[in-house]
Amino acid sequence: MHPRFIPAAAPPAPSADRESVGAPLRNIPRAPVLALPPILELWAGVHLPGFDSAEKLELLATRAQQFTPRVSLVPPDGLLLEVKGSLHLFAGVAGLRAELTGECRRFQAPPVLAFAPTPLAALTAARAGRPLEITAAGQLIGQLAPLPLTALRWPEETLARLARLGIRTIGAVLRLPRAGFARRFGVTQLAMLDQLTGRTPDVRPAFHARERFRRRRDLGCELTDHGRLLTALAPLFTALGAFLAARQCAVVELECLLVHRQRPVTRCRLSLASPCADGQRIAALCGEYLNAMRLPAPVRACELLAEVPVPHVPDSRCLWQPGEQGGEEAAVSGALVERLRARLGPDAVHGLTLREGHRPESTWALSGPPPAGSLSGRTRHAAAAAACSTNAQWPVFRRPLWILPAPRPLPLRDGWPCRGGPLRLVSEVERIETGWWDGAGIARDYYSATDIHGVRLWVFRERAAPHGWFLHGVFG
Amino acid sequence: MAGDPHLARLLEHPAIWRGRSATQRPGLSTGFAALDEYLPDKGWPRTGLIEILVSRFGSGELSVLLPALAALTRAAAARWCVWVAPPLMPFAPALASRGIVLDRIAVVGGARPLWAFEQTLGSGACDAVLGWARQPKAREIRRLQLAAERGRTLGVLFRPRSAAREASAAVLRLRLEPLAVGVRLTLLKGRSARRDRLDLPWPADWPV
Repeated sequence: MHPRFIPAAAPPAPSADRESVGAPLRNIPRAPVLALPPILELWAGVHLPGFDSAEKLELLATRAQQFTPRVSLVPPDGLLLEVKGSLHLFAGVAGLRAELTGECRRFQAPPVLAFAPTPLAALTAARAGRPLEITAAGQLIGQLAPLPLTALRWPEETLARLARLGIRTIGAVLRLPRAGFARRFGVTQLAMLDQLTGRTPDVRPAFHARERFRRRRDLGCELTDHGRLLTALAPLFTALGAFLAARQCAVVELECLLVHRQRPVTRCRLSLASPCADGQRIAALCGEYLNAMRLPAPVRACELLAEVPVPHVPDSRCLWQPGEQGGEEAAVSGALVERLRARLGPDAVHGLTLREGHRPESTWALSGPPPAGSLSGRTRHAAAAAACSTNAQWPVFRRPLWILPAPRPLPLRDGWPCRGGPLRLVSEVERIETGWWDGAGIARDYYSATDIHGVRLWVFRERAAPHGWFLHGVFG
Repeated sequence: MAGDPHLARLLEHPAIWRGRSATQRPGLSTGFAALDEYLPDKGWPRTGLIEILVSRFGSGELSVLLPALAALTRAAAARWCVWVAPPLMPFAPALASRGIVLDRIAVVGGARPLWAFEQTLGSGACDAVLGWARQPKAREIRRLQLAAERGRTLGVLFRPRSAAREASAAVLRLRLEPLAVGVRLTLLKGRSARRDRLDLPWPADWPV
């Protein structure tokens, strides 16, 4: 995130060159050239012993952003703050230490704070329980040397092997030859040591506080009319759309609060079928919810609240208009399902699927809404081919286009089934006798029949006594 | 200018595309040659509301539409085909065996069939919407017709035969009566001067 600039060596002092014109070099004093470069970063490592709540750590990081914009999390119990630029605002290291400690105490977490030019050094010192303040690069290794190795949180096995060699402090491990150390204990550990001493940059991911949308609008007069209320809410939805578009975010849930003068606040909770970043679409959906709602009292203010936007990549726009050549069809069909569900109930839209089954009533089932968006060319061809093959495998039995939810008994007259008048059987019998193995067996003789109005029906006669006649479908 | 033979010959050149030809979009083939010939657009209109008037539910009104619906659901860029408030549930195996791709079919139930019908027609998510409504008023039918044009959708409204006397904004109105094997169709409204009847027998291989 924030590349660090590490000077390879101290630059030669330009003043020395200028003064050297015409003068013998050996008389020049060399002290300024050897001066150490100033440190570029100062990190505050915050160690919170016994802290294990990721949620609280995020809250603390949000609070810590008042001291510096560069905060990064070290779960489960650490925070890192880059404070070089903020020192003069908080009366130096001591002032900042007091402020940060106070902030952490609010979370019932007394911290250990250490300051160092590299993030890992600051964190290691804090974990070792030493509130060090290393403000010059030259002091870094000297101050770190007496710290125990356990503060680096290396694997137990590595620490045990080092302990057998008699190496228990950071100073001792830094004195080991690099090549040998890398061979015996791994490159990862060597890289950590380099980050500790600032030989290689240590890039920490920056923490970004979660954002939420909250916008309130006080109305000029009290409103009871749904239509006017929606008009009053419209700027809030436009603002929400702009907020989401600017952050490439979308919402799945949001809340609309309607404030009354005397009564408690009316809450209208919207949950969307899929993450949505379109303010207009959300406004239309909110209108459906408001229409279904009875307001207890006139509304004098409204507020829109969207918690936790989710990352959202906007769809690429289509050349075609919605619905044209299948363009943007996924979006419009999703919106249609949402709108129908908002008014008619959650199970207003169904799809149809085939099922393996022996009884006519168990060969199909209702499913969720069909997949949105037209299938791509290849899948479509595959589906068509599959449909053809299904047709080929599926013997063209006489099946009605409409089915009754359950067979309906038909009244009998002189032993013949009736429906307004006597039915006329117009086909051969088809016997379906199946399902005896699972206790719900059927034994039926199916016929195609026409009633007195010429409507073609699918009827059956029970083979078992009392040989009742039933209507099961309409050919349509 | 129209009578100029040189100009007429020039315009016959295949490389010349004229805007007029694009607007003459052929209708959606019904799957029955006789019915294609009978209907004004040589098929069902692709956009707009049509009415089919039947005396009894199940007189063959769905069978007349089925070949066209199957063609719509199997097209490369097929949108949905939605059934709004059908009196019974469509039997999925029968639809599949008639060539309909089931994952383009959606069934909408609920208490407000006319509202759902209008929303579905106007959404642009559907190729065809079939609707059964109790007694829609002329004004509501006009709204449905406008919604169908907005959504570039074929809307099919099934109504009782007694509605033939009422005015309607639908682009095409047909009366349908069952025959022993097939249906008899009468064109009540449409851009055609034909008012004779058409007896349409089912193909011999249909399982009815």
